[in-house]
Amino acid sequence: MFGYEVAVQAAIDAGAESMFGYPITPTCEILSGWANSGKKCLQTEDEIAAGFEVCGAAMAGEKSFTASAGPGHILLQDSFSMAEAMRLPAVLIAGQRGGPSSGTVIYSQQEVMLACFGGNGEGMRLVYSPSSVIELYQLIRRAFNESWQYRYPAVVLTDGYVLKTRQPVDLSVFKDIKNIPPANLVPEGKNIHWPNIYTSEEELNTILEQNKKDYDNISGEVESFENYKTEDAEILLIAHGIIGAVAKMAVEELRQKGIKAGLFRPITLRPFPRKELNNVCCWKCIKRVVVVESSFGQLARLVHEQLAQEVSVSLSYFQRPGLGIESDEVVEFVKKLEI
Amino acid sequence: MTESKTNLAKFCAGCGHPIVLMMLHKILKDKKLEAKAVLGLDIGCSLLAWNYLPINTFQTHHGRVVPTMVGFKRVRKDSVSMAYVGDGGAYAIGLQSLFHAALRDEPVVVFVVNNTVYGMTGGQTAPTTLVGQVTPTSPDGFGGVPLHGPEVLKQVANKDAFIARAAVNDPKQMLEFITKAIEAQNAGHFALVEFLSFCPTNWRTTGVDTLKRLDDMRQSYSCGVL
Amino acid sequence: MLFKILISGDGGQGVQTMADIISQAAFSKDYFVSYVPNYGLEQRGGSSLAYLQISDDAVAYPKFSSPDVLLIMSDEARGRVSDYIGKSASIFDIKDYLEYLNENNVNKISYNVFFLGLLAKILDDNKIGLSKEIFSVLEKKLGKKPNWEENKRYYLLGSK
Repeated sequence: MFGYEVAVQAAIDAGAESMFGYPITPTCEILSGWANSGKKCLQTEDEIAAGFEVCGAAMAGEKSFTASAGPGHILLQDSFSMAEAMRLPAVLIAGQRGGPSSGTVIYSQQEVMLACFGGNGEGMRLVYSPSSVIELYQLIRRAFNESWQYRYPAVVLTDGYVLKTRQPVDLSVFKDIKNIPPANLVPEGKNIHWPNIYTSEEELNTILEQNKKDYDNISGEVESFENYKTEDAEILLIAHGIIGAVAKMAVEELRQKGIKAGLFRPITLRPFPRKELNNVCCWKCIKRVVVVESSFGQLARLVHEQLAQEVSVSLSYFQRPGLGIESDEVVEFVKKLEI
Repeated sequence: MTESKTNLAKFCAGCGHPIVLMMLHKILKDKKLEAKAVLGLDIGCSLLAWNYLPINTFQTHHGRVVPTMVGFKRVRKDSVSMAYVGDGGAYAIGLQSLFHAALRDEPVVVFVVNNTVYGMTGGQTAPTTLVGQVTPTSPDGFGGVPLHGPEVLKQVANKDAFIARAAVNDPKQMLEFITKAIEAQNAGHFALVEFLSFCPTNWRTTGVDTLKRLDDMRQSYSCGVL
Repeated sequence: MLFKILISGDGGQGVQTMADIISQAAFSKDYFVSYVPNYGLEQRGGSSLAYLQISDDAVAYPKFSSPDVLLIMSDEARGRVSDYIGKSASIFDIKDYLEYLNENNVNKISYNVFFLGLLAKILDDNKIGLSKEIFSVLEKKLGKKPNWEENKRYYLLGSK
């Protein structure tokens, strides 16, 4: 199946009833795929409307989502900020493309900051980064479940390569995943009075502190990672999304060359698997950490933020903004490192 | 999110919003629609209605109340979904979505409270500001073209959509149009009622002058069903 | 010397006018001044707060949580500044002045002029002599208006 077909199937299996979206490469096929699925679909006048329609549907108690990329992802920050403020389970499948501006319609890992911290809030979102078509399916299922269970907006941050890649997939292994049911956020006759603006700084601060507390409480349940051959690694690669898969291959190739490499792959970027990152980075065997990404450091920024002060590691960066990365490039880079 | 509690009305003395909201409440109550009613608010003085009526009410973003209610109504078909917005939220930043909602004949009721200025931020020009009107952003008098929202939307709306304009000093017409707007939604169509309203705070008028200015507005914005 | 005054009242009572007058007065006597208003959303009503600092040195940050003087001019404002009540060196609350104000026929909309007089006296008592300057700015602002004599009386009453 193509990545975009899997995305549509995952949303269907997750119990989504509607999609609102605006065509933008590389996510157009998700919109048209959904439109042909028999489920409710609306092509909107822009991504702003799409995002707010998803919010409205969520408030009305229906699982709804949108898909976008690049400039559309920017426009979605308006609605996703509202979703952050009002704890709405809005779901976005973001297919990263080159940026800034129109960039390319193809691929990048340059929307990490946008997905994690876009808008005028504090990044209390759930952000998932799949490294394969099959993981795309899994994480979309999780996005719907966890956003409804914990009431934070969710972004499945993929890219134009994964969405347009065709791979053999066996979805039957997932047939037993249970769906969290949607909740009626505005029950008839309940008389809800629901603001997102407050009179004083103190009022806002109190609400934010509570939202943060809730967010920190769920981190244990939500944060996910993959540790690959890190126990005795001297070179630790950190990568996410499709580059995570590439980095895994690089680990294999390096090991064959006698270099003890390992991979720490965050699967959730928000909440970031901080504890495990620090755990791994503390291991005495590690001589160098290399952050590998198709951006000028958006993943690295997250890593920096999460590294505890006491953890001292030597960091190197392999950055190719807007460009795909192949495993042999990573291998060459590591071989040339002076350690 | 709060349950209904005693409202500390934050509208200025002489504001048109409480009049519109009172009329709306009367209709909802008379027709026993309070439970099914859902009122979405825009930004600006409209947001002050967030805890005003004993019905489900929520704030949204500037210019985004219409798409939010479109999404809501599509799920809850039996709700009375209303978007409550000022002239700026409706005809400037939110015009795109309002236009397309009318074009698609989305069954939402849009109430536009038009006072020709951006009230909450201090009276700057709005799409409905009249030629020559002096505001903080048109100190030499407004030189643009006032937007007649309902007239524009009428061009693209379904023939069974309900589009009208009333003034806040005409309660009979207000009640009639609110009723018809809700009926249009029940019949599956788009509805918009623009209320010509006053803002004595930013108009810097009092009493009789305020009413006179409202009557002047009626020279440019005609009341009735389009 | 750093003197912090927090003035609070209902929107429309003239809190910001008072702060503006004191700021101008202090500035004219070469003090460093910092003044920042704080409101709610509404154009009218709601609480209006003014954070005023008069200093011998440049003031870096406009807000403070421990005023030397907290002035409360309305019931709603009292609620709004409740967090400051335990942290203020001196508090002047309208509820303690209502009787006096009524006895002396002070017009409700001119309470701020009365309290401006009061603040001028407080500043004098704290060795920040600004009475002349404050009165002068007040006169410039209201001198040509019809009820100046009344306002003058209220100011002098407050500064006693």
